[in-house]
Amino acid sequence: MKRLAAILTLTLPLMAQAQDMSKALDEVVVTATGTPHTLKNVPVQTEIISKEQIEQLGAASFEDILSQLSAGFDFNAGDMGSQMTMNGLGNSYILILIDGKRLHGDNGGENDLGHIDPHNIDHIEIVKGAGSALYGSDAIAGVINVITRKHTDEGIYLENTTRTGSYADLRQHNGIGVTVGRLNSMTNFQLQHTDGWQNTSVEDPSQTEFPIFDSRNKTVNEYTNWQVAERLTYTASDELSIYADGSLYGKRIYRPTDGKYASCDVNTFDMQYRDASAAGGFTYRMNKTDMVTFDLDWNRHAYYYYYTATTLEDGYDPLGNFTHYYPYFADQRNLQSDQQRTMAQLKGVFSLPYSNSFSAGAEFRYDCLDAPMRVRDGGGATDWTAALYAQDEFTALDWMSLTTGIRLNQNAGFGFRATPKVSVMFPLGEFRIRTGWSQGFKTPTPKELHYQYLRTMGSSTFLYIGNRELRPQTSDYWSASIEYSHGGFNMSATGYMNSLDNMITLVNIPVSEIPEGSAEYMGDGSSQIIPRQYRNMEDARTFGADVTLNWRITKELTINGTYSYLDTDAHVYNEKKDRLDKVTIDGMAHHKGNLSATWQHRFTEDYRLGLGLYGRASSTRYYQNNGNGKGYQTWRLTTSHDIGHGARGLSYRVEAGIDNIFDYRDTTPHGLHYGTTTAGRTCYCTLSIRFSEGRKMDTKSIIKESGHSSEED
Amino acid sequence: MAMMAAVTMFSFTSCDKDDDTKNNYTTYQDAVDSQVKKEKKNDKAILLVAFGSTWQCAFESFDNTKKAYEEAFKDCDVYVSYSSAICINRAAAGEHEVARDYYAPNFWLHSLAAAKYDEIIVQSLQVIPGEEYGRVINYIKDLGNNYLRDLDDEYLSELTLRLGTPLLNSLDDVKKVAKVLNDEFGEDAKTKTVAFMGHGNPSSEEHDYDIYKANVRYDQLEEELQKYSKNYFVGTVDQPENKKENVWERIQAGAGVPASKEMVLQALMSIAGDHGHNVMYGSGEEYWDDEEPESEDNSWYEYFMNEAKYKKMSNHSLKSGELRGLLDIPSVLNVWIEHTRQNIKLEDAYHSMYPED
Repeated sequence: MKRLAAILTLTLPLMAQAQDMSKALDEVVVTATGTPHTLKNVPVQTEIISKEQIEQLGAASFEDILSQLSAGFDFNAGDMGSQMTMNGLGNSYILILIDGKRLHGDNGGENDLGHIDPHNIDHIEIVKGAGSALYGSDAIAGVINVITRKHTDEGIYLENTTRTGSYADLRQHNGIGVTVGRLNSMTNFQLQHTDGWQNTSVEDPSQTEFPIFDSRNKTVNEYTNWQVAERLTYTASDELSIYADGSLYGKRIYRPTDGKYASCDVNTFDMQYRDASAAGGFTYRMNKTDMVTFDLDWNRHAYYYYYTATTLEDGYDPLGNFTHYYPYFADQRNLQSDQQRTMAQLKGVFSLPYSNSFSAGAEFRYDCLDAPMRVRDGGGATDWTAALYAQDEFTALDWMSLTTGIRLNQNAGFGFRATPKVSVMFPLGEFRIRTGWSQGFKTPTPKELHYQYLRTMGSSTFLYIGNRELRPQTSDYWSASIEYSHGGFNMSATGYMNSLDNMITLVNIPVSEIPEGSAEYMGDGSSQIIPRQYRNMEDARTFGADVTLNWRITKELTINGTYSYLDTDAHVYNEKKDRLDKVTIDGMAHHKGNLSATWQHRFTEDYRLGLGLYGRASSTRYYQNNGNGKGYQTWRLTTSHDIGHGARGLSYRVEAGIDNIFDYRDTTPHGLHYGTTTAGRTCYCTLSIRFSEGRKMDTKSIIKESGHSSEED
Repeated sequence: MAMMAAVTMFSFTSCDKDDDTKNNYTTYQDAVDSQVKKEKKNDKAILLVAFGSTWQCAFESFDNTKKAYEEAFKDCDVYVSYSSAICINRAAAGEHEVARDYYAPNFWLHSLAAAKYDEIIVQSLQVIPGEEYGRVINYIKDLGNNYLRDLDDEYLSELTLRLGTPLLNSLDDVKKVAKVLNDEFGEDAKTKTVAFMGHGNPSSEEHDYDIYKANVRYDQLEEELQKYSKNYFVGTVDQPENKKENVWERIQAGAGVPASKEMVLQALMSIAGDHGHNVMYGSGEEYWDDEEPESEDNSWYEYFMNEAKYKKMSNHSLKSGELRGLLDIPSVLNVWIEHTRQNIKLEDAYHSMYPED
């Protein structure tokens, strides 16, 4: 039985110790190498956002957590996704994992982060750069691994968390965990909703024919998303455990239907997603250190227009001929794209003589895009990538640990590429010095190659055009960091440079370069359509420095701070001028920072109070078109109230707080870029009820005893 | 694994709740048919076909054009059609003071025939006989051929189906329009540069959208206008070698910048929408990048102020800041109305599509 629990909980953070912030460096992380290390001794610089930090923050979303607790991130939520950036690079360069598995599906290169239930996160691990041989070389900006909560106690575990806030914000989380004998079942449900908000009713006057002060466009639109997920784990023997899981997910983004100005605030459709996943696999442990895991995953992301008024779209008339005028009526929907992905992964970890830990694996990924009206010549496209990787961790020397890896990639359309990675750590007393170099390789996605669609945004209409001439992107990432830890004090500084060749980006192109069959751009001057096509930038570099500080001043008072400096240097070839033009990487801000102070005090056996003050700030965000986003700073005050004994029986937790205390709003007119989409001052309140009935596993002894991770790989 | 398979099956089927959209086309057509039947007052109909716009001033221009046509053709019912789906969608939805139904040409034409008008004249509101005009002709052909095979063939054989040509359909039209434009702008042209900005069909080695070689009309118009004054110039947004920088070259090679250093800008487009207001007359730093003066993002206004050192820009606006399109100039509108009166048979359309053949 002990072994069963070990297999299920190997990579959980040290829950028993987690209350003590000073021991954060003892947390176990797995993302960088695929093998568990304490944060203090992980050979590749890894940032962790702990369960306690997340709980005290009272966040409404995954975006909220990252932007409040780590300086390297920024978001600009919109209908097409959260416009996430990590050290200056966008979502398509960021690999987001949930328990080691890739988040699937994108709109305009943006993942839908609604898949991540903020109340089901145990902790988050962040590895910057393409440093991990295990997770694909396309993680050019880095990897974010969201580790979800696990409940492996024998018996029943029930959890309800309801968070409500301003603008009808609702976050519902329900978890049911049951362990009977060798079988564990975990069922999760989540719902996220907001009515959205409008920070300004002014449209950018340079894009409208007359000043508009009563636009109905919202800063963030209303949306609802829900998810049901089930995971079954069966421990067949001490060596073998098998799992199967699946999920269904739905989202609808509601756009205002009461617009008055056809040129900018009238919409005729909402967006709808219908996603699903299914997976299965096993872990086989030969001994304490050696094991083999296998995973087979299938994911689907289907994106529809859900019409709110009669809308003419591209389609086929009753005789089967193409027309720009196929009508759809309110409450009907129309598939825009269906992305399906199947992945198989086999991985082994083995201890070798002379303090070597060797990992090797194989991965096959098959992508299928079905977009009947958006892909020319057939309405669909496929792609596959196969990869072999190997990594060795050498820890024989007291003064150095060396991790070397290589990933061999073979892509259907773009052939072979090897990407090596090297990381070295020098432990010098209370200092840790880490340095690394890694190569990245990212082939154009089927959408970047084949997609073509018209999209109106406010008063502008864009024609997005795929480019079959694209070349793969490659990157070299160098980093060096120094970390100092003493007692409850920890500080680290990291310098990095990420150098990309052939970076793929959307650029405006002359109408004469629009491919045949895209005639909607024409006109007599009444409507200007801006064609944009994916092109390879000649080169792009991001470079900067991240500084983090964690200081547990007293047992109850902790201060955290992060600061990120970033600069970029990118060039695109100007055919007309036969020269390289310098361009801005959209969303880049030079300075970003976070600061937080938390205080916790247990007044009685049954009551503990937590207080938190959080600040975040960003300097101006730069864009190629439509203005720069203003710099901003916001502050948040949170309280938490733990009532009851905690782990056994019934326990309650109440969280309440005020976000954006000083009511900052970015009132930049619609049609221009915002610095932040924050809604101004908002309040929230969360009630969590947990019930646990059964025998608790001794997680401390399990982790001490065990060597390797199984679930987060 | 069984659960996994079940979830897979469920997700494949549950998400593909195929909405029943198969009959949408005929449902939509039926709705247009019944609207036309209800509105039919005369036995003759005129269908005005434009690309369309979502600008309020364009809605008003089309409203006024419709009124002018109703005034000029009292025995005809007048309908306005957009060929841009996005413009049609947005003009009808939302909570406008007036929701406007600018159905696509194929739907209007089918409905006009279903309502059994004796005579239908399709008037192109295009400026040049270019690609858009070609598409208008195709819609008329489709109707004549009973494309959907659900109209009465006997009725169609007796239907008088005629076509009103674009503004600059022939060289004669060019001369007429040059005259009315000179009547309008002649006073300005004495002391100022008067530059017209048309749309033009783009053309490159890779993609030639000027399939009917209609761009030549802009060159001809400038030639005709220069017979009145050397201060007239006609450029375009997309016609190769006839963009703002080419206009500037011709100004320098010709009359030069007048002593007044003033320029009048006028959109040579049926309505003044996004192109007129922004591409032509946009002012401010967002319309000017001095590192790349010829950039498509630079407006004519800023280009001529910064690159050509004009001191003043002006326009003939309807009211403050609201530019006029050609439909807003009564004498130019009359040229279109005249084309409607002198409507041609469809078989003659070939010659208007290939004017130089």
